[in-house]
Amino acid sequence: MSSDAVKKRKPKFIRNEAGTPETKRGRAEGDQVTHPAGPRLIGQRKLITAKNQDVRVYNEEVELEDRDPQQDYMLYKDTCADLAKLMAEIQELKSGGAKVGSVEIEERHRQCSIHFITLKKLNRLAHMRLKKGRDQTHEAKQRVDVLHLQLQNLLYEVMHLQKEISKCLEFKSQHEEIELVSEEEFFQEAPAEISRPHVTRDDQHQLTLARLDWELEQRKRLAEQYKMSLARKEKIQKAIEQKREYLSSLQPGLHNIMQASIPVQEYLSMPFEQMQKQAEVARHLPPALYVLMVQAAAYGQACDKTLSVNITGDVDEAKALSRRPEDSQDDESDSDAEEEQQNTKRRRATVGIQLEDKRKEMLRRHPLSLCVDLKCKDGSILHLFFCYLMNLNILTVKTKVSTAVDLSGAVSAGELLNSESLLNCLYASDHGKETPNPVNRYQFDKVGITTFADYVSDLGHPYVWVQKLGGLQFSSDGAQSELSGSALSASHMERTMKLLRGRLQARLALHKQFSSLEHSIIPVSSECQHLFPAKVVSGLTRWTMMSYQEFTELGFVQHVLKAGLVCETDLFFMAVVERGTARLSAAVVVNPRYPEVMPLFSLSLHWKGERSGRTEDNLRAMESEVNVFRAELQGPRPGLQLLTNQIQRLCVCLDVYLETESQVCDGSEGPKEFPREKMCLRTARGPSRLKPFKYNHPQGFFSHR
Amino acid sequence: MFVSLQLLHMSVFSQSFSPCGRFLAAGNNYGEIAVFSLSAALSPDASEASQKPILNFTAHDGPVFSLLSTDTHLLSAGNGEISAWSWAELIKKSTKAAWTRKPSYETSLEIPEINAMIINPKENSLIVGGGDNNIHIMDMETGIFKSVLKGHTDYIHCLCFKEREEEILSGGEDGAVRIWDSRTNRPVHCIEVFKYEECARPQFGKWISCLATDSDWMLCGGGPSLSLWHLRSMSPTSVFPLPGCQREAVFYQDLIMSVGEGPHVSHCLHGGTVKAQIPCTPSSLNTLALNLKNTEHRVMTVGGSSHQIDVFTNFSYRAFSLSF
Repeated sequence: MSSDAVKKRKPKFIRNEAGTPETKRGRAEGDQVTHPAGPRLIGQRKLITAKNQDVRVYNEEVELEDRDPQQDYMLYKDTCADLAKLMAEIQELKSGGAKVGSVEIEERHRQCSIHFITLKKLNRLAHMRLKKGRDQTHEAKQRVDVLHLQLQNLLYEVMHLQKEISKCLEFKSQHEEIELVSEEEFFQEAPAEISRPHVTRDDQHQLTLARLDWELEQRKRLAEQYKMSLARKEKIQKAIEQKREYLSSLQPGLHNIMQASIPVQEYLSMPFEQMQKQAEVARHLPPALYVLMVQAAAYGQACDKTLSVNITGDVDEAKALSRRPEDSQDDESDSDAEEEQQNTKRRRATVGIQLEDKRKEMLRRHPLSLCVDLKCKDGSILHLFFCYLMNLNILTVKTKVSTAVDLSGAVSAGELLNSESLLNCLYASDHGKETPNPVNRYQFDKVGITTFADYVSDLGHPYVWVQKLGGLQFSSDGAQSELSGSALSASHMERTMKLLRGRLQARLALHKQFSSLEHSIIPVSSECQHLFPAKVVSGLTRWTMMSYQEFTELGFVQHVLKAGLVCETDLFFMAVVERGTARLSAAVVVNPRYPEVMPLFSLSLHWKGERSGRTEDNLRAMESEVNVFRAELQGPRPGLQLLTNQIQRLCVCLDVYLETESQVCDGSEGPKEFPREKMCLRTARGPSRLKPFKYNHPQGFFSHR
Repeated sequence: MFVSLQLLHMSVFSQSFSPCGRFLAAGNNYGEIAVFSLSAALSPDASEASQKPILNFTAHDGPVFSLLSTDTHLLSAGNGEISAWSWAELIKKSTKAAWTRKPSYETSLEIPEINAMIINPKENSLIVGGGDNNIHIMDMETGIFKSVLKGHTDYIHCLCFKEREEEILSGGEDGAVRIWDSRTNRPVHCIEVFKYEECARPQFGKWISCLATDSDWMLCGGGPSLSLWHLRSMSPTSVFPLPGCQREAVFYQDLIMSVGEGPHVSHCLHGGTVKAQIPCTPSSLNTLALNLKNTEHRVMTVGGSSHQIDVFTNFSYRAFSLSF
């Protein structure tokens, strides 16, 4: 064993030397340091140097193997005891007074040295033995380690295998997820070669396999079927595609034909296409507007080609609205009831906001509105926009006028085509300020609306005729209650349309007249020339607009106000006619229904003091001359010249007045301011001594009525 | 609308009570005659409707300047023609004229109006004055115009008959008051009022538009101030300081009542003072009538430049208005 160990150690050294020569050297030096006595002993130590320089084995190492440590220990003990004896003898000798260099001491010194050498050798051997022991321990430990490692590897392998086994045990086969037909069914349906009942009856595994086989078989068959169906579907789809393509290739052709036919349609005035579109949209109109549209369109087709009806507004919204169930009213009342209960609890501010919202909701318009255009001969168009207030169930109308010619210039004509007042009193006393539906008043009370008039500018005017055109009849005017819906609308359509057209024409005519009146020219048309003498000296000097307030403050119109002939919705003007020092002011009330209703003149003359129609009979006669004799003054129907003729007559009357007045006073002094030019049969007549204001056309003289 | 416009420009020119005194007829500038029932309007349970005419009809083309009641008929003067309507028929609301007569006029250009009519009860003749400056006298029995009194140079405003002397007084636009003898049809006197300084008002004119007589006294006015004349001495005894031109004046007991320009009835005393001016509805007045025939309905009515006729039960204030 030892030799084996030595052999094993040798290459280790070599390896060490080759690997780390410096450490080797270091250790050699260290050895020298730790063993200072070393070099001195080298001579005794026989370094066995093998032929191969690499293998160096100390001689003592070899020696060591032969020695018994126990013997060495004994040797050590003996040596130490000898040394101690010698030391004691030297001590004794020295104390006995022997000289240092005496023989006995020298002898003993020599013996001591030998003992030291022995001790040294023993020490060396002990060291070597220790080292050897250590090496052996180490080697053994390494072997144990290797074995331990092997053990561990094996243990790990075992564990892994166990895990694999458990995994395998836990493995789930896919077939478990496949839904299989039940066993009885399987045996019934599957052919024998698959079911193999003789094998499978007992073997669950085989049974499962067989069932899976059957399943596979079935699935294959179904897959085949599926594929076939797919192919068929593909084929059909292709056919559909082909047909569709054919159809879509037709469309542009059809479209072209349609496009090409439009001029023909227009030429023949048969707007089929437009009508179709309109009819589509019209389905979403609320009933009232629908009635209005149908009747207006019908009237337009039958009697009035210039009338056109269009639907404007958001069709989608209307669609959404018409789809909504018709229970909104119930909701309203319910929520109202709740609201009232809550109102008592809630604070005022929130109630205010809520009211505002509710007001808005109440005044909501239907998203669709109707636009009716009435064209006049001169190219002016009256646009009427009809709206339907859903929650109030009334119709309103807004107006706009577009004219063929530019109408700027006349300051006093501003109000004439004002959309607010244009259609006022189309029928007598229909101001369109208050809602004609008596139900609305209670609705308004609920949300705190005092009068509909506040909202008229925004929502349009709810004239009674608009309701009638829409077929809405409210019980307040029960005279025609037997009519309703379309019949009611139809019964009013023609007259209303004529009135509308007449109104527009009248206003446009007035507009034109006003711009010349403002330039102090009275436009008298040739048809009316015969109503007046050729020479009229008095002339219009001023034509201005007045407000109702200003009018009521005039002193000389009080009798007219008292007679109830003036309404706030009328238009008020001030005309001034002058001749020389005489100045005649005329306050003119133009009813919205002009020319159906005559303008009303009230006069005041500034000449030698002030006189008015109230205090002087002749001025009163002039007023009646201007105001009453409509048939004479209106000119060609429908009497659009009425106002200008009245003003012209006023000028003529002033001439007569002034010229005959000076006649009366001929007894007084000075030259006459107004020489008599008019031919009068008599200057005064009757108890009130009226002047001759009536002009007789062909003869050209003035007479009394 | 048109009706109210007509009302606004209406003037009432003439009135006449029915012989029974229960009805009042009024004529306006449109040639219409309205008959009001005084008994209905004056009854304690009178309503708005009873102040409206029971009958309203168009009698003439021109204004009705003069109305006159005989014992049985209502005479109305239109443009150059005189129509008679039976009161009995009118009350039954029948509006057929009993007869219509026209004086013969010389001028053809214009038909002259008739401003005044009076009855000469002694001869049973109708005396008519108007636009042709002449006085025509018609025999009521035969309906023939038997004579013409010419003298005025301008149209005749008013006529008056003095029963005791059987004299006709006429006042005209020419400013003269002429006195005619009805038996001989000759002019007796001519007073040119505007030439008397105390009466003259040149700023207005010279016409005489109202005349009234009471025994020896005569009232006249118009352009010149209203003045009271003593006919035997032919001189003005008192001049009434009324601002406007007067159109009708009557003697009533110890008072003189006068209407004209201005919205009031003036009560004057013979001495020449204005006792009172009673306000009324029309802004100027044309006619004043007293219903003295029926004591039950003793009223004064005035009409003028309005469609309303004011009724005075007590003469010192307006009771109510009848309305066309």
